Amino acid sequence: MDAYIRSVTFLSRVTGVAAALLIALAVLVICDIVVERYILNLTTIWQIDVVTYSIVGATFIGSPYVLMTRGHVNVEILPLHIGPRFRYWLALITALLALGFCIVLFVLCTQYWYQAYAEGWKSNTVWRARLWVPYLSMPIGLGLLVLQYFADVMSVATGRTPPFGIKPAEDAEELLRAQAKQALGDAS
Amino acid sequence: MSPTTQGGIVLVITLLMLLSGIPVAFGLGAIAVVFLVLFQGFDSLHVVAETFWSGLDDFTLVAIPMFVMMGAAIGSSPAGKDLYEALDRWLYRLPGGLVVSNLGACAIFAALTGSSPACCAAIGRMGIPEMRRRGYPDEVATGSICAGGTLGILIPPSITFILYGIATETSIGRLFIAGVMPGLLLTAMFIAWTVYKIWKSGFRSHEAGFRYSWKEKFTSVPKIAPFLLIVLGVMYSLYGGVATPSEAAGVGAALCLILAVVIYRLWKPHQIWQILRDTMRESVMILTIIAAAVLFGYMLTSLYLTQTLAQAIADLHANKWVLMFLINIFLLVCGFFIPPAAIILMTSPILLPIITAAGFDPVWFGVILTINMEIGLIHPPVGLNIYIVNAIAPDVPVTKVMWGTLPYVICMMLAIVILCFFPEIATWLPNTLMGPGK
Repeated sequence: MDAYIRSVTFLSRVTGVAAALLIALAVLVICDIVVERYILNLTTIWQIDVVTYSIVGATFIGSPYVLMTRGHVNVEILPLHIGPRFRYWLALITALLALGFCIVLFVLCTQYWYQAYAEGWKSNTVWRARLWVPYLSMPIGLGLLVLQYFADVMSVATGRTPPFGIKPAEDAEELLRAQAKQALGDAS
Repeated sequence: MSPTTQGGIVLVITLLMLLSGIPVAFGLGAIAVVFLVLFQGFDSLHVVAETFWSGLDDFTLVAIPMFVMMGAAIGSSPAGKDLYEALDRWLYRLPGGLVVSNLGACAIFAALTGSSPACCAAIGRMGIPEMRRRGYPDEVATGSICAGGTLGILIPPSITFILYGIATETSIGRLFIAGVMPGLLLTAMFIAWTVYKIWKSGFRSHEAGFRYSWKEKFTSVPKIAPFLLIVLGVMYSLYGGVATPSEAAGVGAALCLILAVVIYRLWKPHQIWQILRDTMRESVMILTIIAAAVLFGYMLTSLYLTQTLAQAIADLHANKWVLMFLINIFLLVCGFFIPPAAIILMTSPILLPIITAAGFDPVWFGVILTINMEIGLIHPPVGLNIYIVNAIAPDVPVTKVMWGTLPYVICMMLAIVILCFFPEIATWLPNTLMGPGK
């Protein structure tokens, strides 16, 4: 079990770095667009597509990392105000629900990617990009998201991590204080 | 089953789902998939992947990670401290100058970073001890910083407006410019209240003979000016029609990153990685909610739920101001629990038909909605700003900070009322600069 969690954590980190680099790439290409279009008065061909696909790709590929670091925002009001037992079951049920959705999305998106690949879909833009390349971010990102979610469910079920990341003795106010401390730390 | 019953079921399940603590994006997506299958069968699933992808495949959305990166670069540098010092050095002789420096620094910094907690942390760390040292009451010192931090989502560039613009297909440029005057109005109201409060309780400024030299004044400028120039440049290129929001924000992000490296020497790999990582986490979170919300919206329209709801409300023939009042209460309550991004993406496709049918301007409504979201940021039960301020000044009890923010919450509610009576405060500037709206 621990080996599984460790390897998924490692993969999520790797894709997290890849997603951050994709965003950085988008910044660079936008600068290129601005220079070519507004300074050199040239028309851009591939740049807009590359920027858009980088950001969409980063969203799919970065998702497992964001899940692992509890960055996918949720409403914590109910989990904070219930007892530890109920919180444990609620965490499991919601995680299984979300896992179910991710599996459905992974299957549907993989089919969609395969269709684009098999039928050689091209984008409607000037560049006529082969769509299976950017679409590949869906099966990769969502596949790893499913693995990461499964690791999360197992960690909560076996008591490795507290449900919703809320420690047993912690109440609502303490959690908010901890978040505030973190925000203060980030800004320093 | 009638669409009204279906609508009721969807609404109740959505609320339960969100309150359960499931990540907003996955909760919305799960509901969309389940109801599509329930009411339209398994065949309806073949559009899910395409809808999810096309919800994100839009060059306009690129503006979000770019503005987030701009904010992350400025927020991770000590620019907040410099901004505060610069304003204080220039304004210290004015009566209540410290308040103006604080709230002014909050307004500018929050606009630069687009993050309310980051602003509270950066300005508060300097401002709160200084105000308390000069004898300002604790609740004023803490409350004003809490409230000041929220101004950022109203003053452009604002990610809240980008999300609203995308969800409702309203011009983002127009929304940005519509936020300027209400943002200044709120800043002025905050300053007026604070000055009144400290004037009543008696305060002292710097010691009588105290002076900052011209040298001190001018050395404070060069560190801050480039960031301000970048943001002004971004805004100018947006309104001059020079560039699209994504292009302007992309160049802005690159320049802010370079400045953070050059001026503040954030060149160590882990510092740059922190900016990139924060940008990625925040952008991925928002973009995933956008994709899920597009799927959710697709489910609502394909089951005719949005149309039915808008029709049902139109059939009530309720007074439009009663309607606006109820919508405000609804948004306010949502804002207490749910993060702004989720509220905007979920509710605006439903609210927009109702708003336009009642004859309200969607740009004006975007401003009203944003002020409602601001209130949620400093109001319990969540109100993260309150706890940040509490961490800066741990000896001020949380309840005191909450009482301190209350007058500012009232200011915001008052601003909503003023905007209802004088919608021109929001609509005049965009109409004048960009021509009348649709």
